Amino acid sequence: MISYPLSLNYSLAPGWLEPFVSGLETGAALARKCDACAAVSFPPLRVCPCGATDATWVTLPGTARIELRTYGSDGAFGLVRFDGADTRATVRLVDIAPDEETGRIMASDAQRPMLCLTTMTAKEVSHG
Amino acid sequence: MHDATVTVSGAAVTPFNRRRDGTGLRDWAASAFDAALAMSDLHRGDIDALYVASESDFFHLQLNPASVLATELGLAGVSATRCEGGGASGQLAVHAALRAVQSGAARHVAVVGVDPSASSLPGDDIRTLYGFSFDAWTDGMTGLTSTALYALSYQAFTESHTVSDSDLATVTIQNRSNACHNPGAHLGRTDSAEDIANSPVIAHPYRRLHCSPLSDGAAALILSDTSHLPTTRKSAPRVVGAGAATDHMHLGARAKPGLFSAKTRAMQRACAEADVTPSAVNYAEIYDAYAGAQLQGIAALGLSGDVIRDLRAGRFAPNGACPINLSGGLMGQGAPVGATGVAQTATCALILEGRYHPDLQPQTLPQIALADTHGGICTTSAVTLLAQGARAA
Ligand SMILES: [Zn+2]
Repeated sequence: MISYPLSLNYSLAPGWLEPFVSGLETGAALARKCDACAAVSFPPLRVCPCGATDATWVTLPGTARIELRTYGSDGAFGLVRFDGADTRATVRLVDIAPDEETGRIMASDAQRPMLCLTTMTAKEVSHG
Repeated sequence: MHDATVTVSGAAVTPFNRRRDGTGLRDWAASAFDAALAMSDLHRGDIDALYVASESDFFHLQLNPASVLATELGLAGVSATRCEGGGASGQLAVHAALRAVQSGAARHVAVVGVDPSASSLPGDDIRTLYGFSFDAWTDGMTGLTSTALYALSYQAFTESHTVSDSDLATVTIQNRSNACHNPGAHLGRTDSAEDIANSPVIAHPYRRLHCSPLSDGAAALILSDTSHLPTTRKSAPRVVGAGAATDHMHLGARAKPGLFSAKTRAMQRACAEADVTPSAVNYAEIYDAYAGAQLQGIAALGLSGDVIRDLRAGRFAPNGACPINLSGGLMGQGAPVGATGVAQTATCALILEGRYHPDLQPQTLPQIALADTHGGICTTSAVTLLAQGARAA
């Protein structure tokens, strides 16, 4: 066996996904609303299931309902539906208790655009 | 179309394990290829084309591996193509080779699947790379692991299927028990349901023992235009159907995230080509990256109208009506990614021909066998149907 360390430092351009990626960095949920059928996708889809490609970026409230969750040594993750979106999203769950059914998007604190859901404040829950 | 019938004239699988013997990818590829070529009663000069399945240059640090293996295997001069589709890479290479022979572009084609998924990098690095098998900008950057995505999909599956932890244990125990009789298997084990329940939670409900291992190894096939085979191999098993399909790359954008819809579409295409129905399949190698994925796969492929009832009744056990993963599957035999689909097809061919490991070979030869592979979270599906040579003649 030989040892061959290799360090790679990528520069990756998000392309048309740029508003989505920038949103994750600030904790905003930027979704795509189809100009033809008004379906809202988050994460955004370039081509709507209806076939249309013209769409408008919209900012969702950022709150989501957790439909399924998994946890273990790999971390905590969920399949959630963001309010205002017609698709579900797979997210990392951060500081969300097992009995919490909702959460809100949080800004990525890592040097990469992570899609994270964290606990809502009591005030946000009460205002529904 | 030239419309050749395509025979599996040669098939071989190296041991799958974590190599500590100083051998490397080129040794494994050559070992599998040489054995398959010897079985085919053909010579190197008869091979017109090479298709290589290897998932990622990250694993072996060899870009353009098909061109290198062409020389390594003594085939320099043939056309050489690398096929990649994540976990489905091996089966996609089988499909490419099949189409080359069917079209008349080649008479005899070698398929080699190989990856060093165990020994070349630390396991955590391999698992990190696997995380980029899904949409890198959403799931990959978020750090979603393969196990977590499969766990979420399996949970969605259980909303429409009444499954218990003991069913996951049954799949796990059965595959690893089969692997105990496969001398080339990575993970033959005799864990109890309690052992499984006590293994660490990786991503609920998946525990460590529900997961397939990272393995090194290779597999090879020679696919031939039947009319150009020596008489000794003319009646060998045939490839009678192949189908591939995709699903939405985002689990969350799927209407039913628990169903492997791409597999259903791929199977429909393969069955149409073979002119059979899924109920005709009486042997299958199913892509069991996780225990629950095997159940989701059986359901999506249409091998059972009630997968849980049939599992409990022993339909998929070694002595059942449709044994599954006698090799041990990914969970028991192991998972060198590029080799996986090629090995599944090789296993099906060897079983149809009655040449598999003696302790696992069914006494009554199956008529139709299915090799089922997918990549991503069943985002890419590729399935292949094989039949007895006599049936297809
Ligand atoms: Zn639309």
